[in-house]
Amino acid sequence: MKLSRRSFLAGVAGGSAGALALFAEPRLAAARGLLTEPKLDDLVKRALGAATKAGASYADVRVVRIRRESIATREDRVERVAANEEYGVGVRVIAGGAWGFAATPSVTAADAERAARDAVAIAKANASLMKRPVVLAPVPANVDVWQTALVKDPFKIPLEDKAELLLAINREAMKVPGVKFATSQYAAIAEWKLLASTDGAYIEQEIVRLGPGYTVTAVDDKRGEFESRDHDLPPRQAGWEYVESSTLLADARRIGEEAVEKLKAPSVAPGKKDLILEPSNLYLTIHESIGHSTELDRAMGYEANAAGTSFATPDKRGKLRVAAPQLTFFADKTTPGGLATCGYDDDGVATQKWNLVENGMFVGYQTTREQAAWIGEPASRGTCYGDSYGSFPFQRMANVSLAPGPRERSLADLIAATDDGIVISGRGSWSIDHQRFNFQFGGQTFWEVKRGKKTRMLRDVAYQANTIEFWNSCDALGGPASWWLGGTLSDGKGEPGQINSVSHGCPPARFKQVNILNTNRRNP
Amino acid sequence: MLTQPEARRLVDRITTLVRATKGAEASVAVRGSRDGNTRFAVNEITSSGDVDRLSITLTVQLGQRAASATTNQQDDRSIDDLVGGALRMARLAPENPEQMPLLGRQSYVAAKGSADPATAKLTPDVRARAAGAALTAADGAKVVIAGFVGHGSHSLTLGTSEGLSAYHAWTTCGMSCTARTPDATGSGWAGAGSNRMADLDAAALAKVAVDKATSSAAPRKLEPGRYTVILEPAAVGSLLAFLANAFDARRADEGRSFFSKRRPGDKLFPETITLRSDPTDAALASLPFDLEGFPLAPTRWIDKGVLTGLPYSRFWAKKQGKPPTGRLGGGGGGGGGGGGPSVGWALDGGTATRDELIKSVQRGVLITRFWYLRALDPQSVLVTGLTRDGTFLIENGAISHPVNNFRFNESPVQMLARCDGLGPTAIPSGVEGGSLRVPMLRTHEFNLASISEAI
Repeated sequence: MKLSRRSFLAGVAGGSAGALALFAEPRLAAARGLLTEPKLDDLVKRALGAATKAGASYADVRVVRIRRESIATREDRVERVAANEEYGVGVRVIAGGAWGFAATPSVTAADAERAARDAVAIAKANASLMKRPVVLAPVPANVDVWQTALVKDPFKIPLEDKAELLLAINREAMKVPGVKFATSQYAAIAEWKLLASTDGAYIEQEIVRLGPGYTVTAVDDKRGEFESRDHDLPPRQAGWEYVESSTLLADARRIGEEAVEKLKAPSVAPGKKDLILEPSNLYLTIHESIGHSTELDRAMGYEANAAGTSFATPDKRGKLRVAAPQLTFFADKTTPGGLATCGYDDDGVATQKWNLVENGMFVGYQTTREQAAWIGEPASRGTCYGDSYGSFPFQRMANVSLAPGPRERSLADLIAATDDGIVISGRGSWSIDHQRFNFQFGGQTFWEVKRGKKTRMLRDVAYQANTIEFWNSCDALGGPASWWLGGTLSDGKGEPGQINSVSHGCPPARFKQVNILNTNRRNP
Repeated sequence: MLTQPEARRLVDRITTLVRATKGAEASVAVRGSRDGNTRFAVNEITSSGDVDRLSITLTVQLGQRAASATTNQQDDRSIDDLVGGALRMARLAPENPEQMPLLGRQSYVAAKGSADPATAKLTPDVRARAAGAALTAADGAKVVIAGFVGHGSHSLTLGTSEGLSAYHAWTTCGMSCTARTPDATGSGWAGAGSNRMADLDAAALAKVAVDKATSSAAPRKLEPGRYTVILEPAAVGSLLAFLANAFDARRADEGRSFFSKRRPGDKLFPETITLRSDPTDAALASLPFDLEGFPLAPTRWIDKGVLTGLPYSRFWAKKQGKPPTGRLGGGGGGGGGGGGPSVGWALDGGTATRDELIKSVQRGVLITRFWYLRALDPQSVLVTGLTRDGTFLIENGAISHPVNNFRFNESPVQMLARCDGLGPTAIPSGVEGGSLRVPMLRTHEFNLASISEAI
């Protein structure tokens, strides 16, 4: 197979050859090319040509193939085995200063050209309602190949092996007296895409993500009550070796025992308590309160109708002390294994790492090429993403993480240093307001701490706080060895809704005097 | 988008290919859609697109073994791969004792008018005009507006090797907008969905959002507590969706549901409360069958406050010796650009007007919509979430002044149990929980648990 990237670049540059020459520093990868269909070279060239001819001042074409494999089990049976493949082409253009987008599952040059012309027509229909034309920050003409670093392709692992692992987990958990239900599931997603733009991008990427997990439920028939416990293994960008090296199966008994223990545990007494959050819980608090609040489109009102706005408005940058001075939050689309990690975003911008909150001070935003100029930055941070061929790419969250404390300190050290508190692990219920102030989170396990020791399990626990007060109340942080990468496959944003997969790393941390709620309404 | 005969031919072709393998049975679902949407924010259009989608799902059954494969490509090679892949996976899949035989020929209730021809042909300039009406209203009132206009044309064709043949086509549309005052102290929302674009009045929706934004500016502090509340339809729908999702006989029988401790015939709510699923409700993008092709019938699950029964899947019905009802899901995604099918959940309304409901309240809170709802306790259907975009104190039968937003911790069960006033129904669009037909209602002792500074 012969790729023709150089001829492609020469072909699309056309009238903007001068501009292209300024930025063209092709980084043709030493890596193996992923392109399996040589006709795509012709398709993207023709689609960009059609968009330009119809009047687009900018166009990009994404050819996207997403493969999914999923297995779901309960107790001793496999409930679902499914494979899903979606392929298509989307064309995004700027014409008359407005965006337009059209997409089709028919991946032929003729239909891609048609989509390009439709996209230009849509942009022109909107152009008269624009007050400021869309302007994109400059970007080098990146030409590259990028793919997930993995050892074992999860799609090549025999289906029976995956199903047997899940059934073995269920069997182990069901051996625990009091456990009545066990469900387990596995999903693998491979996202392949080719991005080409009139600014010279020609980038091929394949990202493989895995999401294994299970839930064990204990039931007390006499009292008519039940409690569930999820395993905390996070989804990752990885190969099957991630599942093989995990303790999913080894933990099944303990997870079952903890479900039973939770069912028997006393209901929490509400009030203010010191809170120690394990990374398996804290990652989602970071996602909701720091990750989303530093998305520039939210802060500027572009998501006001759906996902909401943000307390972190541009006038507060460099002035608002969001967190205690020892806390630094960074965005990083290069974190190894991170779900949002990739080589380039859907604007063709190379990914990077930068600070959002530095020593407690709000300092940075997540941006796209369209957004950089809104806050006077010369270049995009590279956070543009569309979740399928048919989705308009827009700002999506990078991996946003909390840096560990400078000296080694473990979860056990934090517990030993706490006189009266609660330790929470795992992801439970979560909810935050549309400006990211008031949040309320649950968890999977809740342990009482008295005089430096875990004493007993509690149930019905939620913590509720204001983002800024909460992060400023942090007085102890785990060290580098305690840093752990959590994540979610399905963060939602936009209209129509789109999904983004994103990871968050953090150490365990302690927070002073947080409002603890009791969520028990079983016997009102 | 595929025509009905094209989709039918595809189903037949795949079914025939599968039947060439001895003992293999096939169930095929072909879904096609064409969606269009326009977003606007900061008083201008921000993005707009038209998207064609296709999905072909094949489920192969080999005795008690089964597996599904889905593609969106219809060329010969892709169809061969689909059939080969599903057969291969089905052979490898462990036996599932719960696997039910495929359905044969069925008959369905007539769902007339679900596909509106005018809505199916909508073009981007119609969306731009709707968005333009909102932008004009916002510019005129000097507020900042953001919103969404979406529409879609959808079809679902089902077939099995046992002779089942089902087809349904529907359209969806929706518009919602949020206006904010320039000083960021006031915010107002409005939204509506239907299957006919002619039902939506963009200028009228924008006016409601703009008026709410200006009248909610500079809210005063109101302490958390239990209040009498008037919930507008968007708020009712988001919270009610959690109760709708709890309707499942199996989870109840297994002891892990609110309904585990309730029986048909139990009176749960006042006589004014009737909750139904209606597969003939065209405006809700309802389907007359479930995704196995089982016929869905209009059903009152709560009739005048009394629980009439719970939905049974085919497997659970057989195990428990009950008649199956088909699988009921939640609210679906009708109304906006997503356009997923629903089963048509509807809470009957009452005779009170909006003004009459407000007039009847001595002291209470008017709530426009909820946000970020999450289950806290499935046994009591306890849910947390927040108010947003128009929260007002009612005093002596009139709206007195805007107040801060709240986080609530409350159950839709209690919302209905304490309900003593129902207004006309509406289909809110672009809200959590999907498309439901719900009224504005008055209820009491609603737990507004803590203050949210968000506006």
